[in-house]
Amino acid sequence: MPKLTIDGKPVEVAAGTSVIKAAQTLNIPIAHYCWHEGLSVAGACRMCMVEIEKNPKLQIACNTPVAEGMVVHTNNDKVKDAVKWALDFHLINHPLDCPICDQAGECKLQDYYMNYGLYSPEMNQRKVKKSKAMSLGDRVVLDQERCILCSRCVRFTTEVSKTHELGIFNRGDRCELSTFEGRPLNNNYSLNTVDICPVGALTSKDFRFKQRVWFLKDFETLCNGCSTGCNVTVSYNQNGVFRVRPRVNQEVNGFWMCDEGRDIYKHTNKEFRLDQVIERNDQVGGAAVKGKPVALAIQEIGKSLSATVKKGGLESIALVVTAQYTVEEYEALFELFKNTVKSPHVYYWKNNEEDFDSFDGLLNRGDKNPNTKGLSDTMTKFGFKGTWEDFEKQATSKSFQYVVVAGPEDQSAYPDLEKKLEILNKAGEVIWLSSCKNEKFKNFKWQIPMKSFLEKEGTFVNFKGIKQNIKAGMSIIPTSLSLQEFSKGVFESMGGMA
Amino acid sequence: MENRLLLKHYNEPGYHTLDGYVKFGGYTALKKALKMKPEDIITEVKNSGLRGRGGAGFSTGMKWSFLPNNNEPRYLLCNADEGEPGTFKDRYMMELAPHQVIEGMICSAFAIKSKKSYIYIRGEYYKPYKIVEKAIQEAYKAGFLGKNILGSGFDHDLDVYRGAGAYIVGEETALISSLEGKKGQPKLKPPFPAVQGYLRKPTIVNNVETLAAVTWILNNGAAAYRKFGTEKSTGTKVYSVSGNINKPGVYEVDLAYPFKDFLENECGGMKEGFKFKALIPGGSSCPVLTAEEALKSTLDYENMASLGTMLGSGGVIIIDDKQCMVDLLNVLMHFYHHESCGQCTPCREGTGWLEKLTSSIGKGKSQLDDVATLDKVARHMMGTTICALSDAAALPVVSFLSKFKDEFEYHIREKRCKVKGNCHAQAHH
Ligand SMILES: Cc1cc2nc3c(=O)[nH]c(=O)nc-3n(C[C@H](O)[C@H](O)[C@H](O)COP(=O)(O)O)c2cc1C
Ligand code: SF4
Ligand code: SF4
Ligand code: SF4
Ligand code: FES
Repeated sequence: MPKLTIDGKPVEVAAGTSVIKAAQTLNIPIAHYCWHEGLSVAGACRMCMVEIEKNPKLQIACNTPVAEGMVVHTNNDKVKDAVKWALDFHLINHPLDCPICDQAGECKLQDYYMNYGLYSPEMNQRKVKKSKAMSLGDRVVLDQERCILCSRCVRFTTEVSKTHELGIFNRGDRCELSTFEGRPLNNNYSLNTVDICPVGALTSKDFRFKQRVWFLKDFETLCNGCSTGCNVTVSYNQNGVFRVRPRVNQEVNGFWMCDEGRDIYKHTNKEFRLDQVIERNDQVGGAAVKGKPVALAIQEIGKSLSATVKKGGLESIALVVTAQYTVEEYEALFELFKNTVKSPHVYYWKNNEEDFDSFDGLLNRGDKNPNTKGLSDTMTKFGFKGTWEDFEKQATSKSFQYVVVAGPEDQSAYPDLEKKLEILNKAGEVIWLSSCKNEKFKNFKWQIPMKSFLEKEGTFVNFKGIKQNIKAGMSIIPTSLSLQEFSKGVFESMGGMA
Repeated sequence: MENRLLLKHYNEPGYHTLDGYVKFGGYTALKKALKMKPEDIITEVKNSGLRGRGGAGFSTGMKWSFLPNNNEPRYLLCNADEGEPGTFKDRYMMELAPHQVIEGMICSAFAIKSKKSYIYIRGEYYKPYKIVEKAIQEAYKAGFLGKNILGSGFDHDLDVYRGAGAYIVGEETALISSLEGKKGQPKLKPPFPAVQGYLRKPTIVNNVETLAAVTWILNNGAAAYRKFGTEKSTGTKVYSVSGNINKPGVYEVDLAYPFKDFLENECGGMKEGFKFKALIPGGSSCPVLTAEEALKSTLDYENMASLGTMLGSGGVIIIDDKQCMVDLLNVLMHFYHHESCGQCTPCREGTGWLEKLTSSIGKGKSQLDDVATLDKVARHMMGTTICALSDAAALPVVSFLSKFKDEFEYHIREKRCKVKGNCHAQAHH
């Protein structure tokens, strides 16, 4: 392992490591636009120039491997001057749209100008004009004037998505980023280009003009869109969630996530949520009674369940679970069913059987649940084996008094939801636990509002068996419950029956 | 005095055909080479002191010895892109003696154990392309190319590839990209072509004249070549000369030939009514010399380096007193701006900036501090990019400003041309 010093600090890194990576291990910042750890080296922006002693010319840190005894300076006058000029070359034809640019506040041109620039511009010539607000596909918009031609997005579509939509056309300062003719940027990873674009050239149609980034707060969690469990950062404020971006985890998702996952927050925003208890009241002709306090509803549910249990008959209460909850939630619910309700009728509701095992080769999996493995492990632990098929066989004609359903949080991942709801309805009185509302639930006895994955913490186990945690980053529906809270409430009102 | 080693038989009619070429000793070098050990050819070329004639002047034998010592396929590419403004010697050589280049290529390929080579010829060179193409067919028919060349067991195929009209593909890694069917733009180095070039295989790129010289060296020996020139600049060099001189054209003289003699003898002196003002010695990318500097210089790598310029491609541009340096620089900057591939930010943005600045100075639409800006911009484009085009654009600027600053300031101050009163740079406007 070569030893070298960077700005006087010694460091030892594996042979073949680039100087820019070695500097990162020391937390020494080196300016860069084109270099990205997840992509090949382009060496195009020339921002990462450093002085290496015994070398007459400055070298680019991104394409220079470390060597034994190397002495690197990243911050002397010569380097500072070079970086300042490299930055200025990026800016001379830049439109400076900052006031109307989505990137403002998280733009590397702005950041580096503050760190390495702070000069008054000498460029007094006419700027090069290019196209603005070009739609590249369903989700991405390009501003060619803001583009600094770092080629990160091009390399992404060549090397990562391997979809080859983007290219840099023409030469010199007439170079333009664009899509190849007849090849819009519509691959399922297209929004990664927006993330890696260091400037405001590529913007997301979904996020454009919705929020200034400095009005957003971030928290780190997981995508619950499929069984891969990509690590993400969620940006939100009092008005809801605005965007989801990938977080680096080499074991799970590398640097990326799919476009489908970008929308995972959509169902969590207020307007889609079941935000109160809904009860079907047969005394008033089956009309919906809304707004009963959750605690009261739980108490009533507990009472009905315990009455049913007392009446006896093992067929009386069933539990149906989807793989959209945390391991901790399953444990609480199974505990309740095993020891208090004492029902062996626990069934796993698997969705989209046809493409459940499909995989796109990069990240996206056909299993649209974040915790299939966590659920099956926990069921095994409690000795539950029931499948949806088993349930369907049992469920033909009111064979259960009650069916408690931990329903899908994201209903869009359950294409045959309607058919399944009919079967549930036939099976017994449904106590429906769910984050989102849907007119189609109106025949159920109870609808109890549940927390979304952004509002609770716990463990998801991904397809590979990697345990990861989600975090309670925000509160959207304050009255909603986790399955632990639900189970605890029911347990208590059943009088802690054992 | 002219010393025609390579150009010796160029005036013989039919020298461009196989028969004509063979009549004057053609393909004897190949016959000799095929009996040698490849390593010995490399040593011979190394000993000759031959330096690349494409511009950089790097030792040819040394370059060949950078190839990895293994059995991987490797390629030889002849750089016939000749895009450097002021340079037209390769064209002359290909039109009049294509077999000399082809013979040099087969010998070189044998030396580096390459079974496949290409001549990458600039798209605009249609006539030379036709001639070279025909010569290759002749060489195949005669058994100098193809399988088991002259019974030696050595196989070699040679193809011509035509460029599409970009200066930048003369840069060797851009040439490789273009040959691979990609956008013709330089590749990041390392890896260098000798290690990973065409199709990611070891590749040697040599200029037309370099390869033609290999033919002569194999025929006559390294020692004979070293008799000409100096210790570090051996042999002869072929120059293409333009400007208001009496005899513009292509000349071969010993390296270290005094420029003063070259101007007076070979070039036939300045045209009547024109005074020698400045010299660009080796194509537009080389820093300019004042007449005074030039007349004391000798045409070789060391002397040119000591004067802060380069022998480059041998494209000698003679500038007379009727030429406006602002106009001239603006024309050059227009060229580099147009030809930058646009990968590296300093070059992509800087070349445009340089053209705009020189143009507005020419039009008298500038302030005096624009001269300083021009200089600063150019200096910050040097040594900071993937290939040398950025330097090639910047070097003329820095040298024009350091030697002819008065012409620039005059344009700004007086809003007209010091030399012509009304020059082209102004007329653009
Ligand atoms: C911008 C640029 C343009 C070039 N154009 C040519 C050219 O037209 N012909 C050429 O032989 N070399 C050209 N070169 C030099 C080549 O990169 C390379 O060094 C040369 O072909 C090597 O051959 P040699 O060793 O025989 O000189 C150019 C270099 C640069 C940077
Ligand atoms: S890309 Fe950056 S510098 Fe350019 S307009 Fe947007 S915020 Fe401003
Ligand atoms: S759009 Fe963004 S990522 Fe793509 S080349 Fe331009 S600046 Fe780089
Ligand atoms: S220096 Fe200029 S021509 Fe050379 S690779 Fe960079 S941008 Fe292209
Ligand atoms: S980050 Fe090194 S050249 Fe762009």
